[in-house]
Amino acid sequence: MTTLAAPAPTSSGSAGRRSAGSPLRFARDTRLLTGRSLRAIPRVPERLLDVTVQPVIFILLFLYVFGSAIHVPGISYKSYLFPGIIGQGLAFAVISAGTATATDMSEGVIDRFRSLPVNRLAIITGEVMGQFCEQVLGMCIYIAFGIALGWRPDVTVAGGLELAGLLALGMFAFIWAGVLFGLLIRSPDAVQGLGFIVILPLTFMAGTFVPIHGMDAVPRAVAEWDPVSAFVASTRSLTTHMHSSGSLQLDHPQLAMIGWSLLLLAICVPIALRRFNRTTAA
Amino acid sequence: MTDIAIRAEGLTKRFGGFVAVDALDLQVQDGTVVALLGPNGAGKTTTVRMLATLIAPDGGRAWVEGHDVVREAARVRELISLTGQFAALDPHLTARENLVLMAQLRGDNGRAARRRADELLERFDGVDFRDRLVKNLSGGQRRRVDLAAGLIERPHVLVLDEPTTGLDPRSRQVVWSTVRELVAEGVTLLLTTQYLEEADALADRVVLLDRGREVAAGTPAQLKAQVGDQRVDVVAADGEAMRALEALLWERFEITTSEEQRTVSVSAPEEAADLARVAAAVSEAGIPVDEIALRRPTLDDAFLALTGHSATATAEEAGV
Repeated sequence: MTTLAAPAPTSSGSAGRRSAGSPLRFARDTRLLTGRSLRAIPRVPERLLDVTVQPVIFILLFLYVFGSAIHVPGISYKSYLFPGIIGQGLAFAVISAGTATATDMSEGVIDRFRSLPVNRLAIITGEVMGQFCEQVLGMCIYIAFGIALGWRPDVTVAGGLELAGLLALGMFAFIWAGVLFGLLIRSPDAVQGLGFIVILPLTFMAGTFVPIHGMDAVPRAVAEWDPVSAFVASTRSLTTHMHSSGSLQLDHPQLAMIGWSLLLLAICVPIALRRFNRTTAA
Repeated sequence: MTDIAIRAEGLTKRFGGFVAVDALDLQVQDGTVVALLGPNGAGKTTTVRMLATLIAPDGGRAWVEGHDVVREAARVRELISLTGQFAALDPHLTARENLVLMAQLRGDNGRAARRRADELLERFDGVDFRDRLVKNLSGGQRRRVDLAAGLIERPHVLVLDEPTTGLDPRSRQVVWSTVRELVAEGVTLLLTTQYLEEADALADRVVLLDRGREVAAGTPAQLKAQVGDQRVDVVAADGEAMRALEALLWERFEITTSEEQRTVSVSAPEEAADLARVAAAVSEAGIPVDEIALRRPTLDDAFLALTGHSATATAEEAGV
């Protein structure tokens, strides 16, 4: 019983518990909670499959099944496909972040965190950072698998850095959108179901697998303003000599991608934080 | 003020049109155990979640050790530890990883956190399963880790929401004995339960909740006293003995009978003395009986007597 008799608040190893709002405390709590999210990845098989096997299957299906019938003038289908696959993977972050958030919120552990003197924002940023690492892992698998299959992105060092920065920004934007989605819908199954209904068509119309200019009028109009199109077009313009056109955003894909990302973040971050705090007193 | 651990005045919470907690007043003295007793839907969990700052009240106020649960929520969180109905643990971490993380979030550094986790695992008899993922633990093991997590830092006020719901009798005993130890060390405890037996076994004071309101409060003994007298139940060995018992006892005592259970109940205001008189009479007459026992009313009886309806009616009304 000596264990509990110890006056914990002043015991050795205590770090400023009174300052749950301080930036240092926020950084520390975020790091701890990110660690928690990361440890879950290899222990939840379906999450690991989402970022490893699923991309591989998409690549194989489109490269060797559908790709055999698709001809894009002036470029090998491999070079055309991989930027699309990367953009699609980015957009799927909405679904995986949403599902993970809804699952997390439905588990009692969030209540425990909330009842601890933990920085509230850190609970969400820990979740976001965990998702981010998971998505980076997925992206690395896409790229490594692509290169193993003979994809040779035509990219300069500067272009590569630009691409990495754009992808990171896009990931944060889609992850935050997913976190908000998960907080609003709450049921992991519903998030998954609804997510696929909304996201899957958007990723298919985004010039991912076939060029936008050949589409029918309606899907073409959607595709020209689909945020995923901007992501795919940016990636493609940085890894090939192909440049998109057809709408304002497709003429300037990188700017459009930055714009969409900032817009998503500006909308989703405050609403998600408010939503998370709404049920609580503080 | 300091000798009152928890105080609530007119605490109210609505979910849509449903009033979960209806102007509840509550007081828990330091170092005592108070049980909120009631069926599902009585407002127990909502009440403790408001006290633990997890949800904001729609009306009324509450203080933990004098600190307002809304305005001083951060301070309240340092004083109170809530262990909920469902394990508040990360299923994908091991028992030990969970405890280490909680200790770190409390402010301990890595080494102190690991030491604290190991001490708690030892105390809750969890060393054997400390490296197993929480999702793979049995209900009883998980509940023990959960209780341990609630004690990472010795809280001033411990709140246990239905600590033994769904546990097998053996795990329930483990939880009860740990709770008793903590109380002996001076922890203030507010617990909610649907088990009348549990309130009786652990609490100094019981608050009976029905539809978000207090319907009765007092010591377990006081509550039971409101319901009626003790009685002596005599169970006859067979039908013939039953008739003989009735003939013997009705002249000398105030009795009620239940043919179905072959039981004659004798009003026993003097408890043990009455028990002795009934036993002597039965044994003198040589009537074969299976059992003679003094019965005190259960808290189940209390619920029916004090609310005028059974515990299930409240649960059904709340749609649970």
